[in-house]
Amino acid sequence: MRKEITFTLNNEEVTVEVEPKWTLLYLLREVLGLTGTKEGCGYGECGACTVIIEGKAVNSCIYPVLEAEGKNITTIEGLSKNGELHVLQKAFIEKGAVQCGFCTPGMIMSAKALLDEKPNPTEDDIKEAIEGNLCRCTGYVMIIDAIKSVAAGR
Amino acid sequence: MDENLKIVGKRVIRSDSYAKVTGGALYTADLKLPGMLYAKVLRSPYPHAKILNIDVSKALKVPGVKAAISGFDAYGVKWGVFRYTQDHAMLPTDKVRYIGEDVAAVAAVDEESAIEALSLIKVEYEPLEAVFDPVEAMKDTAPQIHEQYKNNINIHIHIEVGDVDKAMAKAYIVREDTFKAKGEAYAMMEPYAVVASYANGYLDLWMPNAGPHVRAKALSNLLKLPLNRVRVRHINSGGAFGGRSEVAPGDLVASLLSIKSGRPVKLVLTREENAMCSRQVHDIIATVKTGMKKDGTIVAKEYKTIYDGGAYSSTGPIATSIPYYVYEECYRLPNVRYDGYRVFTNKGIRGMYGCHGRAFLAGNEAQMDLMAKELGLDPVEVRLKNGLTAGELTATKSKIISCGLKDTIIQAAEKSDFKKKWKKHTRNKGIGMGCVAIMCGFPMGFRSGSSCYVKINDDGQVTLITGMVDNGQGNESLAVQVASEVLGIPMDDINLVNADTEVTNLDPGSYSQAAAYVGANAVKAACEDARKKIIAIASKKLGVPEEEIDLKDRVAYSVKTPDKRMPISWITREAFFKGEPIVGTGSFFPDIDLEREWVSKPEGQMAGTYSFGTSVAEIEIDEETGKIKVPKFIAAHDCGRPINPMAVEGQMEGSVGQAGIATIFEGNMWYKGFLLNPDLLEYKVPLACDMPDIETIIVSSNDPKGPFGAKEGGLTIRMNAYSAIACAFTNATGMLFEELPLTPDNVLKLLEKNKGGKR
Repeated sequence: MRKEITFTLNNEEVTVEVEPKWTLLYLLREVLGLTGTKEGCGYGECGACTVIIEGKAVNSCIYPVLEAEGKNITTIEGLSKNGELHVLQKAFIEKGAVQCGFCTPGMIMSAKALLDEKPNPTEDDIKEAIEGNLCRCTGYVMIIDAIKSVAAGR
Repeated sequence: MDENLKIVGKRVIRSDSYAKVTGGALYTADLKLPGMLYAKVLRSPYPHAKILNIDVSKALKVPGVKAAISGFDAYGVKWGVFRYTQDHAMLPTDKVRYIGEDVAAVAAVDEESAIEALSLIKVEYEPLEAVFDPVEAMKDTAPQIHEQYKNNINIHIHIEVGDVDKAMAKAYIVREDTFKAKGEAYAMMEPYAVVASYANGYLDLWMPNAGPHVRAKALSNLLKLPLNRVRVRHINSGGAFGGRSEVAPGDLVASLLSIKSGRPVKLVLTREENAMCSRQVHDIIATVKTGMKKDGTIVAKEYKTIYDGGAYSSTGPIATSIPYYVYEECYRLPNVRYDGYRVFTNKGIRGMYGCHGRAFLAGNEAQMDLMAKELGLDPVEVRLKNGLTAGELTATKSKIISCGLKDTIIQAAEKSDFKKKWKKHTRNKGIGMGCVAIMCGFPMGFRSGSSCYVKINDDGQVTLITGMVDNGQGNESLAVQVASEVLGIPMDDINLVNADTEVTNLDPGSYSQAAAYVGANAVKAACEDARKKIIAIASKKLGVPEEEIDLKDRVAYSVKTPDKRMPISWITREAFFKGEPIVGTGSFFPDIDLEREWVSKPEGQMAGTYSFGTSVAEIEIDEETGKIKVPKFIAAHDCGRPINPMAVEGQMEGSVGQAGIATIFEGNMWYKGFLLNPDLLEYKVPLACDMPDIETIIVSSNDPKGPFGAKEGGLTIRMNAYSAIACAFTNATGMLFEELPLTPDNVLKLLEKNKGGKR
């Protein structure tokens, strides 16, 4: 039994029919074709599927799709404006924070949620903000540097 | 040319990073082809059982199901890296040998139909006695997992150099210890996925892989298709770490389903399937006996190492050898006996790992420190004394070409104030050092070399075509950066076509640490070929001798009279007018002994060159809880010359997590062939908050044959970071580890023993 939901996705209003059992991640990737958000585990442990919902970083793989009704949701595809990368995206590139790249979109979304809420975070704040985002390649050093550089540049 | 490098050695941004920060970079699970079906695999519930019958007929009746297959639909070919290890059918028809083994599969229009159909496949098994412990498996009474391997011994590597018994007898001190380590999980962030599309007699495949050419060859064998009919295409890879070097059961499953249905098929493993049913890391038991002179010189080593090989051969001979080789490539071992046994058990399929061999390597290093202490020597001095230098031969007669080992040891020791801290450590605090060398490539027959083509396009931009593959470490950007240096054309102007078996030529892949030394050397050679052609035209047009011309910023110019210059795009057009468009080809084949063989002839030149590295870790042990903290880590790596220092540092930092912090966290846990921690809740991968303060040191030994002096960029830390932690534990407690990981319960047990006066 499908149900229609309406929400704001990357600053545009979207109305779409969904199955109640879907996760938000399923809707994004399989129905809307937004594959920038990744699935690394499917049960909210790795953070590869992180999106921002109402200002908070959320694991979309365990977020029931009906909960999206009326919400303001941002995915990695919604960060750049008019072809101009978001400062965090630029910082990740410049600081070498990207290796295999699979965790990168989720990591950037968690970082954005942090900086939106707390423009001058401490290093511990940063580590806490990305503690739900696993990275197997980088050892996190350059990721933390990238986030710090954006905070410092504000 | 080396003196005036324009871009090599600079911290450039990686060419692949733009797509990865925008979400535009595609990984296998992101692909959607017209008419694509979704596959699911039925897996063995038994660790060991005879297959009596498989019936997929009811599955085929589920609406939406387009194909259902088992091993009876395959071609009876078994996979193995070597002729003598071909024992893995991938879809077995005789018996299953591990829990989670692929038995049958379906492809349907959606996942739900596929899952429903799976439940209708009937498999009749006759359960057999299973064996899970490699030592038990070697006994005469153990169940045989493969008929052709007596006592379940898959591989026995025997290396004998000098006279070990005589040297041991003459040694001032001799020590023998046994070390164990649990196998780790690769835990790549991307779960394994494969898309197979069979159409018009051609099979196209996308999957994360560390060597597209070897993957295509394996599948052409398994599917009895001509090699040109199997095309592995480029796709981004969400990490490999050694676990995606070989053909995977899922590749065969998706291919068969696509051939049967005539439609593209996508198979995406769950996180649990990725841990249980794609590759796993070997558990290891290493017995290390060392004879030392009074001055700390190692006079003899005797080893018995047992590798829990799981159900099939995989890279058996290589996995059974590598931990020993990376050690003998680091230290002078005049007399050695190495017996490595890879033993079958009823556990998942194993592969190589970037950190492979921690029981063996950390055991060697920690034992050395204990012996040094007994002799009143400093571990730094002992390492310097025994460390190999350029020009020397390893125990199995492989020449060290360039060597920055000494520099990595000294710099890491100085930066950490090692000697002082090691001597006067406070209670439950310790510092430790681990060293290792890494071969940049190893003998793989004609696949040991790499070839590259480059064409200069009509606008002066470049297309670079190489078999090099990137699993996240930055190989793609490395290739582009090297090309940019040689051609004087910015990285942004260079398009890369890589890791596609149809359009690229052979390359060893990214699993033998050969990308920088072999692959990038081929890129350099191809670009030098094109460069010569550009310069020849420029010389005529500018009226300047060829040797006076350099290429920079898209321009060919006279070094003596820089006013004499012309854009490379003009030169390209000139070449087209002449009917001789500028195309460069180049290849690189390392100077290795191709007669060398892992089992039958373990002697001769192993690799074109070696990298060297030293890790230093400081740890603090909480006596109450047994928890180890790692506040500080220093990693020094000799990469010959860093092409992109930022990328090399990134590799080293990642290694500190995956090998170093893993020493206190990571290990697969088993109960009767069942993996207890296949997910990321139960298997703890280090988080940002678990990481130490890391300092990286890059040492440049400037390899004579490496591209611009480069060697592999960072793997030594992946194979010595655990040694540093283990040695720090020895420094803090005066005792050796018995088993890795050093989890709190493990540490408490050891501390308890220590109280018992075993110090």
